[in-house]
Amino acid sequence: METVTRIENENRKRHVLVVDDEIINRMILGNILQSEFDVFYASDGEEAWAFIQREYDHLSIILLDLLMPKIDGFELLKRLNGSKKYKSIPVIVLTSEKDAEIKSLQMGAVDFIPKPYEMPEVICARVKRSIKLAEENSLLNAVKNDSLTKLYNKEFFYQYALDQDRFHADQEMDMLVLNVNRFHIVNELYGHKTGDDLLRGIAESLRFFLRKNSGLACRCYSDTFYVYIAHRSDYDTLFPRFLAEVEKNSGLKDISIRIGVYENCDKQLTLDQRIDRAARACSSCRKTYKSSIAMFDNAQIEKDLLGEKLIHESERALREKQFQVHYQPKFNIEGEVPVFSSAEALIRWNHPEFGRISPGVFIPLFEENGLIQKLDNYVWNEAARQVNQWKKELGVRLPVSVNVSRVDMFDPKLEEELLGIIERNELSPDELLLEITESAYSDNSSALIEIVNKLRSDGFRIEMDDFGSGYSSLNMLSSMPIDILKLDMGFIRKMCDNEKNKQMVEIMMEIAKVLDVPVIAEGVETAEQYGALKDMGCNVIQGYYFSKPLPPEELEEMLLTRTAPASRINL
Amino acid sequence: MITMDALKAFGANTDEGLKRCMGKESFYLMLVGSALNCDQINKLIDQIKSENYGDAFETAHALKGIYANLSLTPLSEIVSPITEHLRANEVIDYIPLTDELLARMKKLMELAGM
Repeated sequence: METVTRIENENRKRHVLVVDDEIINRMILGNILQSEFDVFYASDGEEAWAFIQREYDHLSIILLDLLMPKIDGFELLKRLNGSKKYKSIPVIVLTSEKDAEIKSLQMGAVDFIPKPYEMPEVICARVKRSIKLAEENSLLNAVKNDSLTKLYNKEFFYQYALDQDRFHADQEMDMLVLNVNRFHIVNELYGHKTGDDLLRGIAESLRFFLRKNSGLACRCYSDTFYVYIAHRSDYDTLFPRFLAEVEKNSGLKDISIRIGVYENCDKQLTLDQRIDRAARACSSCRKTYKSSIAMFDNAQIEKDLLGEKLIHESERALREKQFQVHYQPKFNIEGEVPVFSSAEALIRWNHPEFGRISPGVFIPLFEENGLIQKLDNYVWNEAARQVNQWKKELGVRLPVSVNVSRVDMFDPKLEEELLGIIERNELSPDELLLEITESAYSDNSSALIEIVNKLRSDGFRIEMDDFGSGYSSLNMLSSMPIDILKLDMGFIRKMCDNEKNKQMVEIMMEIAKVLDVPVIAEGVETAEQYGALKDMGCNVIQGYYFSKPLPPEELEEMLLTRTAPASRINL
Repeated sequence: MITMDALKAFGANTDEGLKRCMGKESFYLMLVGSALNCDQINKLIDQIKSENYGDAFETAHALKGIYANLSLTPLSEIVSPITEHLRANEVIDYIPLTDELLARMKKLMELAGM
């Protein structure tokens, strides 16, 4: 309910209206009050009502007798309490009846003074206290409500929400964030008055629903509202009803509102964190032009939090060598007997708290925040060191492929870095194969082709990784500088499901033939896949069919027994 | 003109009445003086006689408030039960009570030299 704000000057002598039909009673009270207040009198309710309407702005309190001719005290109380304008004027009832005291307090009186009058000091104190409370309440109302919508402002919303948690700890609560889609357009197209009408309409609709369901709402800023409400599970049906209510209250049609709901809040979180979650859900429906409501996904936040933690710890993990490079063997299947011909270096993170973390979890994170370059660099160095170590200790020359991320490709120091690694580890460039994902080529193909050409001229061999998953045009493929095509494992996994999938792989094999480059199939897990690929003329196989990725020490036996004699070096 | 001595002789609790008037004796006596008449009591008697108990209650209630505030104890101790009987809509013989009230008022007026 809207209330009128009355802010008083501290030093002003307050105006008191004494309403009593008996002059003697009026005079006794007036005599008691006159030293501290300006006292005005009315001899019945009618006279009082006229005075209140006339002098409302200056009136601080009403002392009201109940039994009076014309309009009695109860009727006057009813009128005052029913008026937005006058209900903030405090009323003290003058009565000798206990029953009347209760009734008048129920009707909005703030206090009562029993008849016959008690000690004058007590009366003065009660009048002063009632005025002070009313003025403080009025001040509080002025600051606690948003002036446009009369909903709480943000600070009071927070305070009352915390009170709600404190006093009703067991109540499950939902946090909602509400926004108007393209509110600035509403203002631009229809003017600020219409924008304000819409905001008031939303506020009124929120009040309507909150009256029925315990909860709080505030307008935080502009067109953003927060709602803290007892948990419910019928938002799907509630939302259209809410929209209809907003249209009714604002007088506007086709409004577009989005609401994010963080259901059954974790009360261990701060209110800001709960609001953030509701806001994230709200943002998730930003793209649509229609009104929409979205629920916060708890699993997503757990994933995000883990991601943040991993990113935060990544530098230390690199320093402490929590990352380990494993090697997945690649077998050349052109001959009668598959030959262990190379391996792919794959990163593993042995986290001290979370144990083995999948690269599928941390690589995308590192790609997002740029840490991937450091990680790639770590793998290149480690793989090159390992290739050199196998040569020296086992007398086996095994080329290893490493991933070169998109971001690495445009690093001006890439060539220098790779050549430095080769040199430091006494390798030739063709012993460190570079895997570049197909999608990197489509991003900025001409620039990338130039870089790749430079690396190839240095002697590096380039594997196009995940072939088939990107969007290379046939025209582009013919001009791409690549040495090996590596088929995307998605195709391999499905290739035996049906004839169509198999034919897709055959087409890619044909492309490789046209490009005159060998093909590596990765993700090969079954004999059926292996047989089909061999029949199609696939050159190299990588996958669990032969071996999972292994730590270097576990590869030694395979290195000594299954590599081609040509790979052996006389130590 | 009523005096404090006369009021004390009548049985009024003048200390209490005076305190309610912030110790202002002349103000207190002026208020008592303005209450010294039989008009309201006669009105009450007429209302009771004509069985207009609703109005009678309002009159009695008003008198009760005035006499109590002025601490005119001998008057308020009579008008109080009248008020309560009327509030309860009791149809009793009010004449002994109203006669007594009127007699006490007349006595006070005599003390005031009226």
